[in-house]
Order: sequence, then structure tokens, then C-alpha cells
Amino acid sequence: MTLDTKPPDKSAPQDYEEVRGTESRATLWVRWIVLASIAVFVLLPIITLFVWSFAFRWNFPNLLPTEWGARAWIYAADDSSRVFEGLWNSLKIGGLVTLMAIIVGLPASRALGQHDFRGKGVVEWLLLMPIIVPALVATMGIHQIFIRLGLTGTVFGVALVHLIPAIPYFVLVMASVFANYGTALEETARTLGANRFYVFWYVTLPAISSGLLVASMFTFLISWGQYVTTLLIGGGSIVTLPLVLFPFLSGASHANAAAISLVFVAPAVIVLIFTSRQLSRDSSVMGGFGKI
Amino acid sequence: MTQVSLQQLSRRFGDHLAVRELNLDIESGEMVAFLGPSGCGKTTTLRMITGLLQPSSGDILFDGESVLEVPTERRGAVMVFQKHLLFPTMNVAQNVGFGLKMAHVDKSEIASRVTEILDLVELSGLETRKAHELSGGQQQRVALARALVVRPQVLLLDEPLANLDANLRITMRQLIRTIQSELDITAIFVTHDQEEAVMLADRVALMFDGILQQVGEPDVFYRRPRTKRVAQFFRSDNFLSGIRTGAAVQTSVGEITLDPERVPGADGPVVLTVRPEDVEISTQGSGQGNTVVGQVESPIYMGSYTELLVSVGDETWQVQGPASLAAKEGDEIYLRLPTEHVWIVEDDAVAPEEVPEDSVAV
Amino acid sequence: MTMRRVKERMKIPLMLAPALGIVVLLFGGGLLVGLGQSLGYFPAIGLTEFTFDHYVSVLTDSNFLSSLWLTFRIALVTTVLASLLAVGFALVLRHQFAGSRFATFLFQIPLPVPHLVAASGIILLVTQSGLIARLGVALGLIDVPADFPAIVFDKAGIAIILTFLWKEVPFVGLVVLAILQSVGPQYEEQARTLGANSRQRFFNVLLPLIMPGIMSASIIIFAFTFASYEIPLLLGVRFPTTLPVEAFRLYQDPDLAQRPEAMAISIVLAVVAILLLVAYRRLARYAVK
Repeated sequence: MTLDTKPPDKSAPQDYEEVRGTESRATLWVRWIVLASIAVFVLLPIITLFVWSFAFRWNFPNLLPTEWGARAWIYAADDSSRVFEGLWNSLKIGGLVTLMAIIVGLPASRALGQHDFRGKGVVEWLLLMPIIVPALVATMGIHQIFIRLGLTGTVFGVALVHLIPAIPYFVLVMASVFANYGTALEETARTLGANRFYVFWYVTLPAISSGLLVASMFTFLISWGQYVTTLLIGGGSIVTLPLVLFPFLSGASHANAAAISLVFVAPAVIVLIFTSRQLSRDSSVMGGFGKI
Repeated sequence: MTQVSLQQLSRRFGDHLAVRELNLDIESGEMVAFLGPSGCGKTTTLRMITGLLQPSSGDILFDGESVLEVPTERRGAVMVFQKHLLFPTMNVAQNVGFGLKMAHVDKSEIASRVTEILDLVELSGLETRKAHELSGGQQQRVALARALVVRPQVLLLDEPLANLDANLRITMRQLIRTIQSELDITAIFVTHDQEEAVMLADRVALMFDGILQQVGEPDVFYRRPRTKRVAQFFRSDNFLSGIRTGAAVQTSVGEITLDPERVPGADGPVVLTVRPEDVEISTQGSGQGNTVVGQVESPIYMGSYTELLVSVGDETWQVQGPASLAAKEGDEIYLRLPTEHVWIVEDDAVAPEEVPEDSVAV
Repeated sequence: MTMRRVKERMKIPLMLAPALGIVVLLFGGGLLVGLGQSLGYFPAIGLTEFTFDHYVSVLTDSNFLSSLWLTFRIALVTTVLASLLAVGFALVLRHQFAGSRFATFLFQIPLPVPHLVAASGIILLVTQSGLIARLGVALGLIDVPADFPAIVFDKAGIAIILTFLWKEVPFVGLVVLAILQSVGPQYEEQARTLGANSRQRFFNVLLPLIMPGIMSASIIIFAFTFASYEIPLLLGVRFPTTLPVEAFRLYQDPDLAQRPEAMAISIVLAVVAILLLVAYRRLARYAVK
């Protein structure tokens, strides 16, 4: 009988958790510089937007507004700025795109993630292309056809072109979620007598739900951030938030631009709060972040 | 070929004292095993010797000089880990030659030394393979070769065979032993398997909870385990308490005689022990001294022998008998405790002030 | 074949069909039409002959070549700088120290933020009357806006690069960080005991491990930067501008005869992107683990 006490093995390195107090001076300095630069690098543009949105008068060379006011926000809330109109259209289209991506994307990503089949490589190619080739190229090509089909100037038409980068992205991310998830759980449930629907609803869905949520959020953001594709297919009558924002960015009123930018960034913040915990676990979602 | 001295070595993690005032001298060319259950501090000690961890207090000396200020990369205490950790982007030859390359050794010399060492671990011809193309045993041999080729001051092995299957472990043990003694390298290895420690090491250092319990040549732990816990770690759970007067111990099941020259100690309450394989059993009693009666609790047929759990007084003893022994539960059985095998263990609760070096005087 | 077998065989294609169908229809269709028009097939204005003339005229046009070079340069500079900075940050952030977790959280912020918002913030900072210029005045370094370097609407595209960096450095950084954290310190420790100092450990052990991740992330960044429309339009000059801007501008030209050339440029864009994709897939084959 061997005695086997099992306190945690503190001797093994805990993922870079270092021994406090033994780092060199240089290392500590470097760390401080990195912390500071990250903080400045990330926060400065955002803070600037915030301050500007509440600036009534802020001329060169003042470091802070000389007069504060919520004028920009009031303007943004007003119909004449079309912010609400853009916001509403963006939400509608984004929701539509996400929904459609989920509906066609879930079965496709499941097939891709859980099965090996002939032509899998070809499928992956087909899905990677619309992500790497700019959506503008296909949109320009398909524009005439959309005109003829009466799809230009419609919410549905815009949603369709957004699908070009959205579906592949969703499918590829969910495919890796499914791949990580594997089939073992489902197979076990099946041998225990559960039917297909039951398995999907009670076993599969809960297991992939967090990956699904994150993938959906980022798919939404892809549609949310589309500019030139909406411009082309929207034909001027469908105005989304980025289209409202754009002229202000090259215009003179920084305050208005700032306020509308902050409205535009709102869903991103929501996504951020939700995913900052998820991100460390699921690096499969990383793939599309650069494209938003 | 380095002498290693650990002096009052301690390491604390927050509230937890992982290693407590460890004192040990390891001779040049010696192979010492750090043995103990998980979490007993043996890996921590190894990491301190190699320099990946700084002690909270105490000193580590190589050939009489402290190495605490010497960073790992210049200490020469090379470690072989449980996971082979072969660099995945390099092939076997590049892996093995790594340490030499870091030391800016001439390319042609690296090539010849790599060939030589691969020959020693019986892996010649595999130079261009990548790590993932090798079997577990081959990977570990490459790891070993990589450590040996740099002619380390001290070779440290952290449970290097734990991930290998049983047969492989046996062949690897022999290989390690052969090479280590041939190259005369001072080596320390860590294991939780007492069989492995006993087989490989010149001396064994047993640790529980960061404290050194007993140090000595392997047979010491079988013949003269210092405490109950030490005996139990070496698979002997046979204890009997009694009162000692001189050479006799009065127990609840009779008087047991011991050899006072072999077992020094004061009179008074003691706990005696005899290893399972040393107990002689019989169904009728041999009439010789030191025989107690017990009741069979459960016989287990082990193929080449029978193992019996026998209740003796308040205790349960583990004994062995021939495979043909037809003992049933409830049977009466006689256990003779040969005087030459009776030993007395110390109280566990008392931590040793100074752990005595031990060797068996036959 | 039994009914069951048929159903089994059909299962996967059926699961894939809707998604792939939409992609092939919309993307493939658009690409095909664009290709056709670039080759001169444009019935709407009476062109029905296939010809390479448009490609020839585009590829020999000095405007186009300037745009190509600019687009390429911006993408390259962004990618290289982003990778260098990201690796630097990741190497520090992988350790746990006071503030490291907060810094890693901050690092994630730019990821979901739309590029236009990033541009918006950066404009406010780096124009000649922007916040940084004002800081310069406060520090006594400059007196008037004109003293501050013009990096927006400049030929070098510095503001464009800055905006891309704001988004992409965290992206690559988090990818590298994820690799470093999953690998752990074990290989470096092994290398240390074998005598490698920190410089040797970085070049011989760490870099080979993170290189595949850096390369794939870099390809993604390069492709995205190369193909970006909004940012160069917003922050760059009218001429020379990047390829996507040039392509779209030509596309919107009321003179429909320009259309085939617009399409030719856009097909060039697609070709570059596809070449990058080939490189990306090749790399996936060398991925370790």
C-alpha cells in the first residue's frame, strides 16, 4: 500500500507564472512600457471620440474642449441626421444576414467539421475564396444582375451581398467548433436510445451554443461593417449606419462624426463584453477578426 | 563528474512549503533517486538544482562552489523531462546537437559527437527523422542523447520513463543505468515508483511532503525502514505494537524476540514490523518461537503465489504463501516472524532533526 | 443500393448544398460576370467579342501601376510592422504580472470595432490640427498646425497604415499569444538547461514555433489590407489611390466603356487575393502539431 497524497504539483511551471521578485530591472521596465503603450494605443482613439462627441467648441490648440455640449448627440438623435434610419436598416440587414447564415451554415459547418469526405479540400477552397477575395469584386460583377432582378435598393438585396463574406466566415468558424466538439457525445446519446431530434436539441445545441453565439455575433459584425457593398447594391435608397457615418468622417464637423461613430461601435462593445471570456478558449474564432 | 551538495535547501510557494531544509551530498559519478509520492517536493528540488527555480533559502554547490548566482544556461545541469520535449521543428540530429550548437562547437565536431551518442543509445541511422515520426521509446532516447552529448555537470531526469509502457520502461532503465555508469556522469532522477528507484539508483532519497525521510542504498528501505510511512511506501503494511524490554517485545498476540544488535533502541512502547515476504506461514504452527496465530481474512490467488490478508490481534497483516495453499476465509493460520527480520519503526509524527545516512551492515 | 445507403450518401452533399449554392451563385456568379466583362464581353453596350485589350491597357497604364505599387506597399508595411509589434507585445504579455490580464483585455478591444470607427478616431488624433499636434504645441515642439507633418491625405498613406495597425496588431498579437500560451514555457526551459541564452532561445526555439501562426495571420492581414476600400478612400489622396478605390471609381464612371477596365482591375485584385490564398493553404500543410 503506497501512500499517495495529492496536493497540486506546484513545482511544475504554471504557464509562465513566474517567480516574483527574480525578474531583472530591464524586464520590469519593458513590462511597464508595454502596458503603457497598449493602454495608450488602444484607448487613445476611443477616448478622443468620446470627448469630441461632447465637445461644443474645441479649437486648436486646446487639449480639452473649451465648451462642452451634447449638440452632436442631439443631432444624431434627430431624423435629419438619418442616424436612426441607418441604425434601423443596419440592424434589420444584420439580423437577416445572421439568420440566413445560421440556417444554411449550420448543416454545412457540421458536415465540414465532423466528417471527412471526398472533395473536402475543394469545399474549403470554395469557402475561403469569398473571404480573401474582396466582396467588392463579386458585388460589382453581380450588380447588373441584381438590377435586372429588382434586388437593388432592397433590404433583401443588400443582405444577399453581405452573405458573400458572411456565410463562408460563419461556416468555417462553426466547422472548427464542431470539429473540437466531436461526435462522441452524440454517439453516446444515440446508443442510449435518443432519437435524432432529441440529440440535436438536448445534446448538440447546448454543447456548441457558446461557439455558435460567438460566431453569430461576428457574422453580424461583418454585415454591420459593410460599406461599399451596401453603397453599390443599396442604390442610394437603402442607407445603413456606415453610409450615414462616412460623409461625416470626411466632413468638418468632428463632433457629429464622433457621436455617430460611437453609435456605430455600440454592438461591437456588446460583442466584446461577451466574448472577452470566450476568446481565450476558442481561438478558432480568431480567423475572421481582421476583416470586420 | 561533479559533486553536488544541497544545503538546508528550502522552497516556499505562498503558504506551502514544498521543500524543507533538504541536506544531501551527492558524490561525483553517483546516481541518486529522489523518490516519493506526487507533490512531495522532488521535482521542485530538481528544478532548483537546474536553476529554473530559485530556492527560498539554502544553498546548492557544485564541486564545493555555490551555483545560486549562476543562471540555468551556464550551470550545466541538464534536465530530461517526462515529456521528451524534442524541438518539433528540428530533426533528430539537430535536436541532439542543439546544446553543442548553443555552445558554438565546431560543426564537424557536432556531427561526430552526435553520431557517437546516437550509437550509444542505439538510434544510429535516424538522424533525419522528425520527433513525431519516432516511437515513444525512441523519442525518450533522443532526449537522453541530447542531454548526454553536452557532457553535463549533472544529469537530471524528471520521471523520464513515466510515459512509456512497462516493457519499454525496463529496457530504458537498463540503458540509462549502463550509459550513466559508463560515462561516469553524476545523475539525479526523480520517480514515484519505488521499484524503479531501487533498480536504478546507487542511493535513494525518500521524501514526503518536502521533507527528506531517509537516505541510503536501496536495501535499507526494505531492511530498516525508518518509519511506518516509509515501510508502507515500500509495500509493507505489517505492524504490531507492543512494549519492548531488551530483546523482547510483549504484544497482544504473544512475545516476539528481536536481535538487539540489529535493532538498537530504548525500551518502552514500540511498533515492530516484518515484511510480507519475510513472514513464514504454516497451517499448524512450527513450534518455533515468534509465532502468532491469526485468522485468514481473504486469500488472493496471484498465480505464482498466494497473498493472504490475515488478522493478527488488532492489526491486519499481509503475508505470502505458496500458490498451492488452500486457505479459506476464517481459517486459522500461524505466522512466524523470524528474529532476523524483525525491525522497529519510529513514530511518523516526529520529523527527523537530522536524517541519518544508512547502510545495511549484514 | 438500399434506400438507407442512398440516404447516407446524400446526407453530406445535402448539408453542404444550401450554403455552397449561395456562395457559388453570388460569389462565383459575380466573379464570372466580372471576368467576362473584363475580357470585353459586355452586351449591354454592344461588346460581344472576347479580347485581352482591356487587360493590356490597364496593365500598361502608369496610373494603374502606381496604384498597384501603393496598394502593395501599404499592405506590406502594415503586415511587417503589425507582425513585429504583435510578436513583441505577445512575448511580454504571455507572462502573468501585475496588469497583464488587463492589458490582454485591452488588446482585444480593437478586434470587433469597425474599421471606420478606428479611422474616425485616428483622424481626430493625427491630422495637423488633431490631438497629437495639439500635444506637440503643449510640449512646445510646434507652433501652428502646418508644423505638424501631414500624414493624413499624404502620398505615403501613413494614416492609412496607422488605422490598419490599430486593428491588426491586436489580431496577430492574440494569435501569437494563443500559440505561446498553449505551448507553454517547457521548450524554452529545456533549451535553457542545454545552455541556450535568451537570444538563442528566441531564435532557435520560440520563433520556429510561432512562425506558422505569424505567417498565416500575416497573409490574412495582407489580403485584407490589399483589398480594403473604405480606409484608403477616407484617409488617402485622390491620386495615387489604391486598387480597390481605383476599380470602384472606374466602375461608377458614367462612361460605360470604362466598365471593362474597371472589371479588369477588380479581377487583378481577385488574382492577387487568390495567390495569397494558395500561399495560405500551402502553409497550412507545414503547420506543426
